[in-house]
Amino acid sequence: MSMEEVEEAREEGSHGSMFEGGVEVRVLVVDDSPVDRRVVEGLLKRSGAMFQVIAVDSGKRAMEVLGLTEGKEAEQPTVDDPKIDIILTDYCMPEMTGYDLLKAVKEQSSQKPIPVIIMSSENEPQRISRCRAIGAEDYLLKPLQTNDVLRLRDYVRPTALSPKTGTKRKIAIEMMAENSGSERRPCLAGLAVA
Amino acid sequence: MALHVSSAPPISAFHHLLCFFFHDTYPEMEYASSLQRQLASMKKNLFDQGYLDEQFYQLEELQDESSPNFVEEVVTLFFRDSSRLVANIDQALQKYPQDFRRLDNIMHQLKGSASSIGAAKMKNECTSFREFCNKENREGCLRSFQKVKKEHAVLKQKLENYFQLLRQDGPVDKATRSGN
Repeated sequence: MSMEEVEEAREEGSHGSMFEGGVEVRVLVVDDSPVDRRVVEGLLKRSGAMFQVIAVDSGKRAMEVLGLTEGKEAEQPTVDDPKIDIILTDYCMPEMTGYDLLKAVKEQSSQKPIPVIIMSSENEPQRISRCRAIGAEDYLLKPLQTNDVLRLRDYVRPTALSPKTGTKRKIAIEMMAENSGSERRPCLAGLAVA
Repeated sequence: MALHVSSAPPISAFHHLLCFFFHDTYPEMEYASSLQRQLASMKKNLFDQGYLDEQFYQLEELQDESSPNFVEEVVTLFFRDSSRLVANIDQALQKYPQDFRRLDNIMHQLKGSASSIGAAKMKNECTSFREFCNKENREGCLRSFQKVKKEHAVLKQKLENYFQLLRQDGPVDKATRSGN
């Protein structure tokens, strides 16, 4: 989809747009770089794909937002309504790395852990497999492009797309069911993902 | 006696009229378009001389009515952050023995931010520095760091000039869009 088409879809609102359900996807962006946080936020907002962005500067803060505390199982009722549909985290961060955060999110007792996408400037195959091995949905190379961001919606679970208008719900779930089984190519350095 | 009557329309007169309008003989339009020419030329130089790469175009693509100063905002964030990181590296280089791991770590952050705004020359100097770090070559690090600081200062000045001019241009007509 060209930027112009995406822009039209956004302006149309929830009617007849590519993104059925008209529901905002809540993205938690985790990055210690203020520049990267702002750029990713800009990308998400400008993509026309209706993202609501919450940006934090550390894994620790991310855990707070998610209602998880390191080393402890989530007991709060918030685990079933996490307020976050998808996590987009930098890999290299001080204290708690993106890998640590990924691990913590995937280990929590809820049956439906939140999708986690790793961002990194390094195209290291070993790092990528380590992340995927513990359940990262994808690994994106920085700097992120519009294409990378548009794909994020594919990783959001059907139940997270519970819309305000009842009629659109079925369509959203059917779309998700179609996509959920497909293979995802890893995002490689410098290649535009078509 | 043959009469040669030209059937062609009076193109030349009309053409002159068009030139009159399109060559901006009105003073305000002349100023605006001269400003835009300056901006375009400045931007072209920044790219031709390798200071910026296509990532900068990406930032411009993200600028719109809801974020009308996005590019300048991100660039400002960058220089605030990078100045801090440069100062940290300066300090770290004074220490004995050299903590190359820490130096590399800070430089990794600087490189990442530079990359995010399309600061190509800076990014390359950061890469050089990290290579010296990996070899634990202190002299190399010191020399390379001088280059990093120089590129940082030069880019800062150039972008400050660019945005100052951009502000003068106002929201009238953004002829400086990317891809041109």
